[in-house]
Amino acid sequence: ENSPAPLPERAIYGFALFLGSWFGFILYLIWAYIPESWLFSLGLTYWPQKYWAVALPVYLLVAVGIGYVLLFGINMMSTAPLNSTHTVTDNYAKKQQQKKFQEEAIPALRDIPISEVNRMFFLPEK
Amino acid sequence: MAEERRFRSASGAPIALRRRQHSASCRELAVRGPRLQLRSLSAATSAVWLAAYGLFALSENSMVLSAAIFISLIGLIIYLHFVKIDQESLLVIGSLGIQVTSSYASGKESTTFIEMGQVKDVVINEAIHMQKVIYYLCILLRDPEDPQGVSEVVPLFQSSKPRLDCLIEVYKSCQEILEQRKTAPQSS
Repeated sequence: ENSPAPLPERAIYGFALFLGSWFGFILYLIWAYIPESWLFSLGLTYWPQKYWAVALPVYLLVAVGIGYVLLFGINMMSTAPLNSTHTVTDNYAKKQQQKKFQEEAIPALRDIPISEVNRMFFLPEK
Repeated sequence: MAEERRFRSASGAPIALRRRQHSASCRELAVRGPRLQLRSLSAATSAVWLAAYGLFALSENSMVLSAAIFISLIGLIIYLHFVKIDQESLLVIGSLGIQVTSSYASGKESTTFIEMGQVKDVVINEAIHMQKVIYYLCILLRDPEDPQGVSEVVPLFQSSKPRLDCLIEVYKSCQEILEQRKTAPQSS
């Protein structure tokens, strides 16, 4: 079903995208560099202002730079503060089922309460 | 009986932990941070005054100098009274509750008392804080609806931020007192 192996359809999509991106790039270069008078003489009059040929790439680069700072900020905002219960437990841990203890079997995986973990780590039993 | 031991805070500053046992079920643990250093105070004041003198040399306006003096005085007072915490202490009384006190450098003390019925446990928790993972001691408060649940987490020693070795000492002292309430007969 979903395998990353090369297929004929994928080769065709890839080549179509390759040709399309080259076409788009050559069109962008023509629009940006060829003077307006030459384009008008060919009859191509209804094209966007050449201002955008410089403005759009600059907008994109500034957005990428801001994206770095924004991602950092969003990460810091979503970190739970020190006084929130999310550092200790969450909905899955509160609603977990207690499986019965079976002899000779590996105990089931469960979320151990923080008091128990602390006792195990920091109060060594003799 | 009192004893004092030196430790380091999370950022490397030297702190001291003082333990006092008032009675069998009452203990006081105080963490004292470093006091305001003369060199950092002079450095900050000189920086502000040099910047003001530079502005005065550019603008020829003498109000800049008086404003700098005013700002440094007010800034120092605000810092000592609202920001610089000298000592944070924890007083655990077995049957009564836990009292948390912060003493500021200007002498102001701010106190919080949590009664023992609300305290579920005192644990060392680890969390992400400012691009670091730190250990901190916190009091877990009981949830009235859910006997196993935690309704609130109260972090302790927020400004001195001791490291794990100091926290383990405080944790063991607190647990010795908290264990007594399990063996003691439950009243009401």
